[in-house]
Amino acid sequence: MKRAGFIASFLAPAVLLYAALVVYPLIQALTFSTYQWRGVSAKRKFVGLENFQTLASDRDFIRSVTNNLGLLAGAGIVVVAVSLIVAHLTAGPGRSAKLLRGFSLVPQMVSLVAVAVLWQFIFNPEGLFNATLRGIGLGSWTRTWLGDPRYALGSVGVAFAWYAVGFYALLFGAGLRNIPAEVTEAAALDGSKGWHQFANITWPMLWSVKRTAITYLVINVMNTFALVFLMTRGGPDRASEVMLTYLYEQAFQNSKFGYATAVAIGNFAVAMLLSLGILFFLRKDPTASRRAS
Amino acid sequence: MNRAIRVFFLILAVLPLAWVVVSSLKPGADILASPWSLPTTLRWDNFGKAWSEAGIGKAFLNSLLVTVATLLILMPISAMAAYVLARFPFRGNRTIFTAFLGGMMFPQFLVIVPLFLLLRDWHMLDTLTGLTLVYVAYSLSFTIFVLSGFFESLPDELAQAAMLDGCSDAGVFWRVMLPLAKPGLLVTAIFDAIGLWNEYGLALVLIPGAENRTLPLGIANLTMTQQYQADWGALFAGLVISMAPVMAVYWIFKDRIYVAMLAGSIK
Repeated sequence: MKRAGFIASFLAPAVLLYAALVVYPLIQALTFSTYQWRGVSAKRKFVGLENFQTLASDRDFIRSVTNNLGLLAGAGIVVVAVSLIVAHLTAGPGRSAKLLRGFSLVPQMVSLVAVAVLWQFIFNPEGLFNATLRGIGLGSWTRTWLGDPRYALGSVGVAFAWYAVGFYALLFGAGLRNIPAEVTEAAALDGSKGWHQFANITWPMLWSVKRTAITYLVINVMNTFALVFLMTRGGPDRASEVMLTYLYEQAFQNSKFGYATAVAIGNFAVAMLLSLGILFFLRKDPTASRRAS
Repeated sequence: MNRAIRVFFLILAVLPLAWVVVSSLKPGADILASPWSLPTTLRWDNFGKAWSEAGIGKAFLNSLLVTVATLLILMPISAMAAYVLARFPFRGNRTIFTAFLGGMMFPQFLVIVPLFLLLRDWHMLDTLTGLTLVYVAYSLSFTIFVLSGFFESLPDELAQAAMLDGCSDAGVFWRVMLPLAKPGLLVTAIFDAIGLWNEYGLALVLIPGAENRTLPLGIANLTMTQQYQADWGALFAGLVISMAPVMAVYWIFKDRIYVAMLAGSIK
């Protein structure tokens, strides 16, 4: 049939490229993780699930997982809180609201490499942040932010939050616009305003956006690579190591390709479990029952 | 009151970038020695040094080449696939569509090792051709997803009228539907272009040499080589060079970029 030929010919280029460079490597990743392999095909040795057993007791990997989780908890709370504030501030009509909306997304447009370099200089011992602290008489608060195991991960988190807030503010902003005006007006008539209105009306009504935002956050934080790789190299002493920098080290510095693939699958599994957990906990629309009654 | 808070957050977002721009015009040694000072004389030569000696010019052209080449392959093949998937309910349609969507779910690092070895076996490691093909493949999911939404929303009548006039299926696509979908193609292409221009992880692994470095690789490399000279002028100028085109594009198209950014997240 002529139409079948047309459909096939229109799909073919995209499907072939996708199959060769996305699907095929994805299947390979599963088999690679069962090999002990340094990338030379003759020396490939099947080891079954041994890589995953090693992974489960690899203290450096576990450290990187907890660092990822710490980053998610710390930066996540900051990002959600700040982006909710920014979303409210950009909701109004005025000029300053529009300007803030325009500029709050500017960090999103910058490459993560530039974000990393920029914040590396801000947190440099002689950098902008310490200079500012000295300038306002808080010289005793200065630290070697990226070189101190207590502050390295937090400093990366600050850079991440600066980069990420704009996107989440846009997301929450869209959610706020979806709340029908009648609802907020009715609440205002009942005397609900300010914090009370936010906690009882706005926050529950943002349910679906919240779910989307938190899922995105999980995925973004679990995929953190460039910021850590360029700002701290996972150091000092693995204090800011995350899963993907550990993967990179195993694959492209130690040539442990099989083990590195196991790390990649571990990373994906953690992200999936967290995402599914969120979808489960936020599965019920808290406003559904009220709407039904 | 709200206005003051708005200004506060605005400064928070912009100040670090403004600092980069101001610093790029200072003598390199002053950037850390007196971070808050304004340049006394404008050191435009930082930009010349970044462009030629520091290799940012070469990296800029590489990035431009890869981004343009990727879009030239990506946009037509995605539009074709999205059109067919959006408007022809053949058997297997949903399976293929879901397979493409799945590509947005997993991180690229999940396949980075197989991808690296695959390109090595194909002798495409460290080539801009290899990087371009990988960029096309990994942009397909998002691009097809957004474009199929645009094609779904186009009216049926025009396609039917064109068919009655003797247009073939392919003719309808190229002459009627594609021109109608132009706004959607533009937004998606812009959004893809920004992501490609800034991409780092895949480029880091797939371009190990110096010759074919893209801009993010060039900048990252500069931070390491300049460390020994403590002259950061060229690095900051390089940062400005790498950010300027994206900022210009963003500011021109920002209202449409918001739409693309929300495309995958709000239903």
